[in-house]
Formats: sequence, C-alpha cells, structure tokens
Amino acid sequence: MSAWSFGKGEGCRGQRRRVVITGMGTVNASTVGGADAVAPALALGRTAIAPVRAFALNGCRSHLGAEVEMSAVSPLLNRDTDRRLSRVCQLTVAACRLAAVDSKITGGPHLGIVVGSEFGDLRSSEEFVAAFLRRGPAGLSPLIFPNTVMNAMAAAAAIALDARGPSVTVNQATIAGDLAVARAAALVAGGYASTMIAGGVDELNAPLYRCLADLGALSPMQGGGTEGCRPYAPDHNGPVLGEGASFLVLEELGAAKARGATIHAEVKCAVWGNIPTAPHKAQHFRVDLHSPVRRFLEDLTPGHFGRCYGSGNGDPGVDDWEIALLHRDLPEASRRPGIRPPLSLAPQFGQHGGLGALRAAAAALDAARGMGPVLVHGIARGGCRIALLIESPR
Amino acid sequence: MTRIVVSGLGVVSPYGVGVKTFWEGIAAGTCAIRPITLIETEGFRSRIAAEVPAPAVAGLVLSRRRSRADRVALAAAREAVADAHLTAQDRSVAALLVGAVGGGMLEGEAWYWEEARTGRRSPRIKALRSILPASHAETVGHYLGLAGPKETIIMACASGAASIALGADLIREGVVPLAVVGGVDVLTRICFMGFNALKLLDSEPCRPFDRDRRGMSLGEAAAFMVLEEADRCRARGGPIYGEYLGAGMTTDAHHITAPHPVGDGMIRAMNLALDAAGIPATEIGYVNAHGTGTPQNDRVEALALSCVFGEGSVPVSSTKSMVGHTMAAAGTLEAIATVLALQHSLIPPTANLRNLDPEVPFDCVPEVARPAPVEVALSNSFGFGGQNVSLVFRKG
Repeated sequence: MSAWSFGKGEGCRGQRRRVVITGMGTVNASTVGGADAVAPALALGRTAIAPVRAFALNGCRSHLGAEVEMSAVSPLLNRDTDRRLSRVCQLTVAACRLAAVDSKITGGPHLGIVVGSEFGDLRSSEEFVAAFLRRGPAGLSPLIFPNTVMNAMAAAAAIALDARGPSVTVNQATIAGDLAVARAAALVAGGYASTMIAGGVDELNAPLYRCLADLGALSPMQGGGTEGCRPYAPDHNGPVLGEGASFLVLEELGAAKARGATIHAEVKCAVWGNIPTAPHKAQHFRVDLHSPVRRFLEDLTPGHFGRCYGSGNGDPGVDDWEIALLHRDLPEASRRPGIRPPLSLAPQFGQHGGLGALRAAAAALDAARGMGPVLVHGIARGGCRIALLIESPR
Repeated sequence: MTRIVVSGLGVVSPYGVGVKTFWEGIAAGTCAIRPITLIETEGFRSRIAAEVPAPAVAGLVLSRRRSRADRVALAAAREAVADAHLTAQDRSVAALLVGAVGGGMLEGEAWYWEEARTGRRSPRIKALRSILPASHAETVGHYLGLAGPKETIIMACASGAASIALGADLIREGVVPLAVVGGVDVLTRICFMGFNALKLLDSEPCRPFDRDRRGMSLGEAAAFMVLEEADRCRARGGPIYGEYLGAGMTTDAHHITAPHPVGDGMIRAMNLALDAAGIPATEIGYVNAHGTGTPQNDRVEALALSCVFGEGSVPVSSTKSMVGHTMAAAGTLEAIATVLALQHSLIPPTANLRNLDPEVPFDCVPEVARPAPVEVALSNSFGFGGQNVSLVFRKG
C-alpha cells in the first residue's frame, strides 16, 4: 500500500503511528447515540427523508429533507453552558459528547478536534444580517457574530470537552466528514495529538434550502421527475439535504490499548487529492491522472477490500463521476456488487457534513463484524477526491 | 527528518499586487489603513480598513464574475507558483491548503441586500455558488493544475498559519514533495459589522502594543507560499527564501472570543513550535506577533511571550499596524513578512507605536524598521475559538 499507508514508513516524529477508531457518536435524522445506536440504525436502513417540517417551502421546487428532532438532542445538552449556543453548535457538542462517552476519553492537551462542514452556521449569518437590515447598527448582536465564523462549532466542542490539542475545521462540499476523518487520522499518525474527535456537521435552514433549490442544486434539480434521493440510479435527479452531526474518536493504537479501550477498527489508510476541475463542476469525463487517491487505488487488488461506501448522493454529475473513476482505477473490483455501485448512506440520512463520518463509522462496524477491509471513497464537485481504507485491527 | 524550504512567495496586499510591493511597504513602515470604500460604513464607530487598492483588483486577470476573494487568491497563488519556477509536472503533485473564513460572502451579501431592499428575486443569486470558503481552493486548484491533497482550513484568524503547518506536515510525512499553502480574506459587511459590534475596532489606525491602543483595524489580502523538500528544491535549482523549521497548534478551550487569561494556549503553541524546530527559545531573534492592537490580545500575548522568551529578550513587532488584520490571510502574510525579514536582515516596524504599554516588556520596534542579522524567527497567529498557531523559520 506504498507510502500512503499509516503504520508504515518513517515520519518526522519517528515511526508513524497506527490509528484506530475507539468510539462514535451521532445526532442525525434517524438516530441519536454512540456505536450501539449507529449499528442498528445502519442495519435497519430506513430512510429519514420526509417533507421538511421546520420551515415553509411554498413555491419552492424542493420539499424533502432529513431533519433532526431537537427533542432528542436536548437531554444531551448542558442547560447552563450550551443554552446560548447556536443550533448547529448544539448538534456538534451533543455528538462529540456522545463519541467521547462511547470511547471513554477525557479532555486535555492530548485531545484535538477536526470538524468538517459544507455550510457552517449560515443560519447565524442570516440572523446577524437580518437584524442589521431591520434596526441598523443597533440591531447587531456581538453574541451572534462569532457563530458566523465556520470554526465556531469546533470551538464550542473544544470548550465542552476541554480539547486543548489542535482544533481544525475543514470546509468541503459532499465529503466534508470523510476529509475531517482523514485529516484527523493524519494528525494522530504524525504525532500532533494522541486522540482526535473527527467528523462533520450541518443543519437545515430556510434561506440555505431555498437558495440551493433556486440554484437547482437539490432534487429534482432543473428538470422534472420525482423528487427523491436515488444515488447511482438511472433516474437520479439531485441530492436531498439532511442535517446532523456525526463524530468518531481516533486514537493512537498504543494509547488505546494501554487504557483498555474498545477498538472498533483501524484506519489503515487515508489519502485525499484533487482532480483539477472548474469550480463547482462535476465533470465525469475528467480522469484522475495525478492525485494520491488514484495511486493508492491502483495499488489495491480486489482482495484488499470487501465492500465500498461511496459519496453518491443522487447528484447525477457526481454519481456518474464516481462510478467512472472507480471503474478506471479499480477495473476488476468495480465489477463486484457492493463496489459497483458503491453503497450509499445518503438515502437514509440525507446529504450533510456528517455523512462522511457515518460512512467511516459504517465501514468500521462492518470491519469489526469480519466483513474484511472496507473502502470509503468520495468525490465532490470541484474535484476533491478521498479514499479511506478501514479494517479490523490485527 | 525531511527539511522543508520556502521556494516561492505571492502576495496581494493593501499596498497592491506582488511580494516586492508588500515588502517595500512594510519595510518603509507605511500604514495602508484608510477610509473604507468597498462597503457602506455610515453609522459605525470605526470606518477605516486596509483595502486592496481598486486599481490592483481591477488589473487581475481572473474573470470579474468570480468573487473578489477568489480573484485575489488566484493572483497571489499564481505569483508564488511562478516565483518558485514550478513546472506543470511539479504542480501536478503539489498539495494545496487554503486558509479562509469569509469566502465569497461580499458578493453573497450584495445579493441578500438587494433582495431584502427590493423584495424581488435578484439575478445575483449565481454569486452564491462561490459564497463558501472552499471556493478559493477550487479556483486556485483548477487554474494552477494542483492535484495533490486539497484542503480549505478554517481556524479563524489563525487559518493562514495553520495551512502552512498542515501543508508542511504533508511534506514531512512523505505524502507530497511540495505544497502551495496560503490564506485569503477580503472585507465583508458581516466581518466589519461584527467586529464593530464586539467593539474591537479602533476608529484610528490600530496601534499594537501602544499604551493608548483602542482596538484593531481590518485589512484584506491573499498570501501564498510554496513549501518544498529542501533536497528537491536544490536539485531543480529553485529559489530558497528560508527554511520552515516547525509549528505548534493548540486550542485554549476557554472562550469563543476571549483569549485564555494567562495565555495558556499561546504558550503551549510557541513551546511546541520550538520543540518541533529543535531549537531553544534563546535562538529566536525576532517574533512577528499576532499583535492586533486590542487591549486584551496584546496584553495576553506579551504575557505569553514573557513566559516563553523572558522579558525583553527578543524584538517583537506587529505588521498588522501597517496592513491591518487580514484575518484568514494574516497567518500566511505575516509568515511571509517573517521570511523576508530573515532574508533582508531587517525587522519590520510596529507603525503608530508612540508610547509602549508598560505591560509589554519588549522592544516592539516602533515606527522604523531595524537592521538586524536575525537567523531564526517565530510568527504567531491566534484566532476566535482560542486557536493558536506558532511557526518557526530559519534564514535560507
């Protein structure tokens, strides 16, 4: 698996360290909880997509979403410290707490956070600006302004968990959660922190939803057809938005063993790269000539992994691009069911920043059940591509 | 250990386009903070900032349909790549890490304002495609053909510094041989109004470390550098501006906007950076401070510097006194200022510093740049959410 594999090669801080998954926490439209909640939700496979109830969508082309019930989240929040947080920060804090409890980790300088998000806290940005337009400078709230910076979720989670190691936020369409997990794994492998909480978060809100629908970015996009999330299907016609937060606890193997942690799986490899493409475009004719992902996949044989979770979310351009890339880079494996097409979780939870972490969680649980190494693959409009190989630790 | 050098620089700053223009500006101690022209400021206490000059933006080659931030980001990244003499083959294996916060919000705000004022759907809605910070990396990656790992890093005002630290880590770990790293931010209404609401802006050009300082001044910029394996750079005959030695990244986990009262996270970041660099604090000959000019930041940073280096032991200056706080770009812009200070053996000054705060026990190089044969220097960047990044560079 060449230079991209963790656990091999020399790094600047000595032998590169093996990275394992020791906990997970999620707050999504289907379930709320740790690994014991994620596993049955995935097994059930029930869709949480339904007509949006939180705001009216009169005259809007799209109407579906996968919404989180805040009544399920409220018990996880601290009434004193979390009450003033914005909703997306509350989702983040709740999911990070669940992951920390699931893994039984404690805070301190050894603990870091990586949060992936597609949209951040646009609700707060809109609220902040709307108050100005109503009342002028006197309407501006110094309490809301910090939420408009996209690292507010990571900051809130760091304060809640006393995570004083690196705290990084990555902004990326479609594969924000996968990228956060990969970046966190690299930080652990490189010795920046012994433990990282990594995943993603996004929330549904009316202005964002309406804008995306007006731009034709949501099912049914510009054309006709039935609204719905149908990744890789011939009649796919756009993604359906979801919301929620999902996080994994990544830990250095030795540290996890030393404290007797439950080890779900090992992140054997995490690579990400770019296929230079016009911004915001999905160009399925663009082959991956140079990215590290392509080189990593070309080293894999069909026996290296049993199944593949893909980032397909019903966006025809991105779905078709992913299929074409996997077919080119994994010509033998891509003929097997579970790989062509890959498995998609978007119909269950809707597209949001936490979905990538749920893919990694699903892969970890599959690997722990003896289903062999599992590949998590993703491609986004604009060309960002990622692959994670997750397997049972030996 | 893999040695990493800085082999290319690119800047669009309040002085205009180009690294040379930027260095001439800060070396001369020229304050570029002026009345704001880009957005309406009626009714606000502070109405000044360090904007990128309009003629400089107008001269950029990227289509005007792209956001202002995308345009300045591409110009700076393009200069850095050209400066490093990177071939298409080099670029095809280069990582790209962009620190960003505001994204294309300036254009998004224009759309929102128009719809709110007219009550009608605005054709400006297409601008929303570029509203998110990730748009800069997509633009730069596409136009420059960068195919290595691509990331948009958001760590508030430490974003640009973090992109350097994380990009260097990809090189040290053997993932890529070189990385184009940087930061970009332009003035937005939300940012301007927000810092006004927090009462963190001075109505006069900011005065970091001055006894009478009253807050920061906003600025806008894009700054990029090329980091590269030293052996590779030498083998291809690339330029070497300086050597990247190491970084420290920490979080306060204390408060969303206020720094830790005794600078715990700042101290740990600086000490981690020195550890990673493998040098003692006594070897640092210059610190480019975060130095925003707010009473609280400067006091806590001085406290943290005293703890790490000892009182009065090292010259400290804030280039924000001249170009304002360029937010997500600041970390990279100040890293470039630090590298150029090493290269030119000249410490850029803290402009507008007339009466040093007695709580700041350092020589803050007031008003005039100072010749100094510095070999190793440290650059600090701190941000909302208690984000702390310190970087160490050695003369090339």
